[in-house]
Amino acid sequence: MRTVGVAGRVPVASAPGREDIRWFLLWVGGMALLWLWDLLFLNRPAFLQIQEAFWNTLLGAALVVVFTLLLGWSSALGLYFLESRQQRLPYLSLTFLLNLIRSVPQMVGILAGYVVLTLLIEREIILSSGLHILWMAFVISLFTFLELSDVIRERIDFYRKSDFFDAMLCCGIREGRIINVDILWKNGLSHILHKLIATFGMAIFLQCSIDFIISVGLSTDVSLANFPRTLGSLLASLDSKQDILAISTLFSDVTYVGRLLTTHLQGVSVAFTIVYTLVCVYKITNGLVKRYGL
Amino acid sequence: MKERWLRDHLLSIFLVVSVFIVLAGLTEGPRDDAAVAREQTVRPYLELDFLDLGNPLHRALFKESLALYYPREPGRADSILRAIDAHHQEQFTTEALKAGAQQRGFTVAKLKRLAPMYLQFALVYAIVLALITYGAQTLGTYRFVRTKQRRLPPFAEFLRRLGGLGRERGWRNGPRGLVESLSPLIQSLAKVVAYAVLFAPAYVVAYSLKTRFETEGYLFMVTLAVVSNGLLVTYANKFYTFLVHEDRRGYVETARVKNLHASYAWNTPEGITPRSILMPRKRFPGHLLDHITMNAQFQYILTVKEQATFLITGLVIIEMALNIQGHFCYELMQNILYRDYEVVLAIIVALFVLVKATDIAVDAFFRHESLRLGSRMGGA
Amino acid sequence: MTAYTFDILIARGRRILVDMEGFRLPRNHITFLLGESGIGKSLTGKALYGLLDPEQLNVVINGKQYRSYRRDELTRRFQRDGFFVFQEPSTHLNPLMTLEEQILEGSLARAARPETILRELWKDSTAGELIELLGVYPKPHRPSGGEKQRILCAMAFMKMEMAAAEDGADPLFVFDEPTGSLDNRYRDIVLEMLFTRFRRRPSTVLLITHDYSMISFVNRNFPDLAPRIDFQELSLGPDGLHLKEFRPETYSTWLSQQRPHRKEQGSPGAGPPLLRVESGMEVFGRALRFSREPAGRGEEVPLILHRASLAYLKAPSGTGKTTMVKVLMGLLRGRNLSARIGTMELDEGTPRHFWRKHIWGRKMTMVFQHADEALNLRAKVRDVFSGLPLRGRISRTAIEEEVRAFFGSGAGSAFFDRTVGTLSGGQKQRLNLLRSLLLGADLIILDEPLNGLDFASMQRVLKLLQERMEEGKALLIISHNEEIFDALIAPENVYYLSAGLLSSRSRS
Repeated sequence: MRTVGVAGRVPVASAPGREDIRWFLLWVGGMALLWLWDLLFLNRPAFLQIQEAFWNTLLGAALVVVFTLLLGWSSALGLYFLESRQQRLPYLSLTFLLNLIRSVPQMVGILAGYVVLTLLIEREIILSSGLHILWMAFVISLFTFLELSDVIRERIDFYRKSDFFDAMLCCGIREGRIINVDILWKNGLSHILHKLIATFGMAIFLQCSIDFIISVGLSTDVSLANFPRTLGSLLASLDSKQDILAISTLFSDVTYVGRLLTTHLQGVSVAFTIVYTLVCVYKITNGLVKRYGL
Repeated sequence: MKERWLRDHLLSIFLVVSVFIVLAGLTEGPRDDAAVAREQTVRPYLELDFLDLGNPLHRALFKESLALYYPREPGRADSILRAIDAHHQEQFTTEALKAGAQQRGFTVAKLKRLAPMYLQFALVYAIVLALITYGAQTLGTYRFVRTKQRRLPPFAEFLRRLGGLGRERGWRNGPRGLVESLSPLIQSLAKVVAYAVLFAPAYVVAYSLKTRFETEGYLFMVTLAVVSNGLLVTYANKFYTFLVHEDRRGYVETARVKNLHASYAWNTPEGITPRSILMPRKRFPGHLLDHITMNAQFQYILTVKEQATFLITGLVIIEMALNIQGHFCYELMQNILYRDYEVVLAIIVALFVLVKATDIAVDAFFRHESLRLGSRMGGA
Repeated sequence: MTAYTFDILIARGRRILVDMEGFRLPRNHITFLLGESGIGKSLTGKALYGLLDPEQLNVVINGKQYRSYRRDELTRRFQRDGFFVFQEPSTHLNPLMTLEEQILEGSLARAARPETILRELWKDSTAGELIELLGVYPKPHRPSGGEKQRILCAMAFMKMEMAAAEDGADPLFVFDEPTGSLDNRYRDIVLEMLFTRFRRRPSTVLLITHDYSMISFVNRNFPDLAPRIDFQELSLGPDGLHLKEFRPETYSTWLSQQRPHRKEQGSPGAGPPLLRVESGMEVFGRALRFSREPAGRGEEVPLILHRASLAYLKAPSGTGKTTMVKVLMGLLRGRNLSARIGTMELDEGTPRHFWRKHIWGRKMTMVFQHADEALNLRAKVRDVFSGLPLRGRISRTAIEEEVRAFFGSGAGSAFFDRTVGTLSGGQKQRLNLLRSLLLGADLIILDEPLNGLDFASMQRVLKLLQERMEEGKALLIISHNEEIFDALIAPENVYYLSAGLLSSRSRS
């Protein structure tokens, strides 16, 4: 920093860094590069399969985020209003129910959701692949919304502890406005965004895992016919599995990388997409934390 | 009872068990009726011995014939095909059960078979939980100290050294200079591989290593459970976040003013030794970090509950995806496949009870600590 | 040398927080740094002491970057031999260590006589109570805010005595609002201990405060130290910070000229009271009584407030003044509540939505002490006034006029678009007040209205309160600026609050 006399002193701006944007761009760039590489080196049918799987998975994860937001927001506000209106029994019941869900391991719950899905398919209630994705997204969100609910409740409690809430109440401002506009919109948006992005990553992870398990372990030639293709199920297909098994030849022969990236491309692409997306989501959430000091 | 939290946990166990018993009763009855009804509808088509429904060409032709026969009922072909598929599925599960000489439903023999698997699962779960807690705290603390040391990330460091190499020391320093400048690059590459393993779902890692290592052993499974699925990373990150939050709190300033050591350099009298980071207890006497880790660890206790559910998810994924016979979750998968829902429900309840037991243990410990500090743990 | 001089520049990103040249800190003198809260006094103190984080803030002192300033020999001596008493004591103690462990930690382990210091600071407690307190792990309510502050002051005094015993010591002691949470008795004790030790062995002391009554204290009790005491005032003008010497006489003369405002027209009994609160409310296991004499003497009286009058509620800190008004405002539940506002009756059975519908913002309102907490720091100034139940009584333009009148020429149209968090502490406090004053409520409760204001702002706020009161509002004031309000409020309008344990009769 230079001192240029009294009036002209300008400090060096220590920029907080926009790491989250950077990693988002890195993700888009990485996916674009992969797309290009696959276009050049992967056979067309497999390429189309990967594309379809990618968009289906993304759609599913986006739906999970939407459902999580709705469920999380309504449960947090529901709990708050029950508590402040002194409705002991409904409040305790709702808390109890939420704690119950909290203790259910996500995978177990999602498996149960899958079982219900097969029953619904059998009874011909769910027929289209769109509804299929919708249902699974809903089931997954049932096990991820609690974290968002906790974040929202924590924000509300933080402001309740200080005089913020009381001061506005005493001026006659409505409670709903204090919570939604002043606390959540003006002071909680970055927290909520951070949690939603983390949920997106979690959704991808859970979705791929359940699809993989179904395809590997639970398939008979009967039930899989109409399931929409996703990254997880693609990974479980025989071709992809072969490709991933081939990765271990890198241990004995490092130069195998070339063949790995050209002939064993399907499995490697799918695996790369999943892992790279999860890493980028993690980095983006970290970047958000650094930027907004969460 | 007076302990509200304990009462809530036990109540939820009781509730879930009862609900599942009811569900088990419900799933058995209707299935047989549906199966019989379906068989009636489907029988005439099954008797067509030239029709091989496994062959896609035959399936397509079948559909088109039906469409010709019943031109005004376009959905009929699809629903008949579905009924046939369901019937085959039913046959398959019954036959599979018959082949395995097992009965439907939850019997004592099954219980005797599942119990040791459950115990084995619980043991693995406990070991992995302990390892992850230790690992998360150690990695989190290490990352915190490194952040405080304000070093460049390895790739940037590599570029910097590369840039400085030509100017400062020249290539005359030969192999040593080269190695010094390359080492951050190697570190960077190692970091990439580490990230790939830490974030990858377990099955990706397992299948990559399947032909190299024995993937059925316990050591492999425990290592895999600790390292992959993003579990270790997520909780290390959480612990790091706690550390960062505590660092901003006032008492750290007060400690600084009391002249506690504030340097984060390695192996200096006022700094930190790597060895102390590896210790489970994380004590740094006379240093600011002591205050910070003390409070972060206290905050972390309740996070172990979250860890439990996530960990079970990870273990379920590992056992199911790797198809390891003789393991608890493998049984879960088999029974879902064979539609033996009573056993499925029993296994689910067993997993839920495992999580709840962890919750109870964590809450008990937290309550003990809170009482020691003289504050009552909040009610709900 | 006789004085240290500092050119200080503190910035966060591109936003300059503190920019001052030639801040003079005379060696071995006590320098009072006065001024409203939120303009950078604490930052200045921390910067000089070497406590700021170069990662978060860009700090340049005397042309040196902060990292090298911190490694400077002088700064190291400041830190080794000195101490910093922080402003917000509640978070400055580690909740996982006992108070005793924290008092004897680090360099304080070498201190000579902590017991004497502690005994003096806890004059009113027995030895047993003190020992018990030392074994406590700090929690939000125990020890209380005042006790925590006394602990920090004790640590400072221990360091002061250590410095007195060493020869080459060159300490810097910074006391940042050391008496903010203390009531007047303990404030006097702390100041007494500070000045006595200073007299014994002078060291460089920076005392940051906005409690102007300390001036009176010094004049009264330590007049001999006057040559070694300097007063500087920091103020925020439109073009930046101004540091100028503050003549203590300004305050003392002003104070001596204050007279209680007395109404000319009829006796208080003329119209029905706007507010009447019966004594004997029970909350948090204590019974609160009003009386006309301090320390619970005198008979119990109801608290009565008429139109166009001021009432001053006094009590030692921790008694429950804020709790009482919160119960009155319906924010807390208390038993045995019996109050009447205008024609409306309030008792312990009144449901919360009654306050919501009829009282909040309409009949009665409250101005909270910490403007930082009471306002949404992320909102814009114009947003502060939206959402209020003004019921079209006041139009937007009327609001803007009021704001301009209140804030003076500084409130151009750009003012309304500023984020509240960027205003100074005094401006925030005035905004906080204005928001409540614009409501139609006739009854206003003010909790520490002069908190954090500098001398000029204090005068403005007091004038404003006088004006509103004359217009017909009734004001109930809680404040520890007893010196000022005792001079302004007639004794017939002063009430004392005392807390007693619940009697067995009511504990059914």
